[in-house]
Amino acid sequence: MATAQLSTAHPAPLRTRRDLSALLGYLLISPPVLIMTLLIFFPIIQSVLRTLFVENASTGQAAFSFENYAKFFSNRVLTNNLWFTVTETVWTVVALFVIGFPLSLYLRFSKSRIAAAVQILALFPLFVPGIILAYALIQFLGSHGSLDTMLRNIGFTDYATPYLKWNGIVIALVWEHIPFTVLVLTAGFRQVENSVIESARDVGANGWQIFTRILLPLVQRSALIVFCLNVIGVFGAFTLPYLLGPAAPMMMGVSMQQTFNGYNDVQGAETQAVITFLICAAVGLLYVHTITRPRVERT
Amino acid sequence: MTTQPQTIVLKPVRFLKTLRRETFGLIALILLVIVIIGPMLTTVMWAFAERWRYPSLVPTQWGLSFWEETLSRADVAAALPLSIGLALTVTLLSSVVCLPAAYAFARMSFPGRNALLLSFLATNAFPRFGLYISIAVIFFRLQMIGTLQGVILIQLVNTLLLMIWIPTSAFQGVDRALEEAALDVGASRLRVFLQVTLPLVLPALAAAVLLTLVSTFYEAQGALIIGLPNVKTMPVLMYQMINSSVVVQYGAVMSFILWMPSLVVLAFAQRFVRGGAISSGFGV
Repeated sequence: MATAQLSTAHPAPLRTRRDLSALLGYLLISPPVLIMTLLIFFPIIQSVLRTLFVENASTGQAAFSFENYAKFFSNRVLTNNLWFTVTETVWTVVALFVIGFPLSLYLRFSKSRIAAAVQILALFPLFVPGIILAYALIQFLGSHGSLDTMLRNIGFTDYATPYLKWNGIVIALVWEHIPFTVLVLTAGFRQVENSVIESARDVGANGWQIFTRILLPLVQRSALIVFCLNVIGVFGAFTLPYLLGPAAPMMMGVSMQQTFNGYNDVQGAETQAVITFLICAAVGLLYVHTITRPRVERT
Repeated sequence: MTTQPQTIVLKPVRFLKTLRRETFGLIALILLVIVIIGPMLTTVMWAFAERWRYPSLVPTQWGLSFWEETLSRADVAAALPLSIGLALTVTLLSSVVCLPAAYAFARMSFPGRNALLLSFLATNAFPRFGLYISIAVIFFRLQMIGTLQGVILIQLVNTLLLMIWIPTSAFQGVDRALEEAALDVGASRLRVFLQVTLPLVLPALAAAVLLTLVSTFYEAQGALIIGLPNVKTMPVLMYQMINSSVVVQYGAVMSFILWMPSLVVLAFAQRFVRGGAISSGFGV
């Protein structure tokens, strides 16, 4: 199936028909664009502004202030949560690359039946919703769970469960993000035509040279997208850290939910949300830059 | 390549060769089976277990009694129709809003088209749960927390990207020569759309709609933060069942019921939505 192309404008024969078509085009796209603007961009901008302008209790006047942020960064529990989120993100993203890279390289070059089975299994988590995954992993990884039982049956008795620990979150988030990682990296590797590799081999290039000189540069775009979306996805995760992680420290998603639903502290939750936006902003910009950059043309 | 008798001699050699070349694949396969299938199989077994004593590898007593118990719970009986109704409503709304827009993105030219199409992708750049909190704060001020409308809106936001990108790429994939040929022999524009264009894109559109339906059915985070305390969907109920964890089987049975639609889609969608279409939704 063709992927969405970005630049295929078809010139209409008549000028008036073209204007009419443009008008109709705007009309047709306006509903989703409006929803996106009102429910994604507007709330984010509003959140940023609202956390920066603090209302004075006595006068009722809003003035620019970092008070909300000062409150966040002076709270030991909250800064611990933030730091915890950063370390969890680093571990998860590193693990995803360590697992995803060789897996997709293998899937790119092997056409065996084993490869087909590996691909099906690697993409399988795409169809397991987070909430079910959380339940399944608790029963699988928990103490006296299936993994514990399997290990005990082969004589390994000191199993330490990652459930409710920091590494439980990493395992769950890796599980969840593996399909996306493999899918996008394999798509990147597939952009390299077989003929290119064969001709490189003909002129005497070895495997390492083919990897560093041909495969890596061409997979760069995919790898960047995987990196950015994994970082953002893990940073903004809620369900898996909430159900599999420790009660303290929490990841930011869990912390925000507790602040909002548990303590009814709307302002506090909003400040935390903006902090996660700001931390992810650099990665987000890198992502937007990567997808707007014209892709490498195939020759 | 080889003559008949030689093949017989060569076969084990070739097998060993494949085995060596496929060592990585084989190790990966075994690990993936344990790690990916293991948790799911555990859940399925729990759903059909009366009793499961550690350290038995399989349930010590099989049975269906927890199915009745789970399904007769008042909260489950209320949540299931609510979840189905919500998923259908959101998917219908999303189709009405997005499919004409996808056609416009694919087939019409207007200034700013590429930028607008890309802006849907750019929504990926925000951490999801932070975004939900931002929306929730606005809903809080509008007193839409705990309302059905609130949940519908937040779930609708979630569907935009997929419902714009997969159909857009499908409409772009239609060979315009086919349409022009039909126009040349005198078919009206409407007829060309209905009889040439639509049948060609229908599988992809159906897959997009189905994926949206299923992902909305499973949507838990938005429903949790906006819907509580009045709107309790099946996934929101799952949070409570896991957290309170009185009876393991309740969660297992719930997972099994929740997971059925996913399996159907898995079988259907993989025929029409190839990896390329899904990954295009991330900007690859």
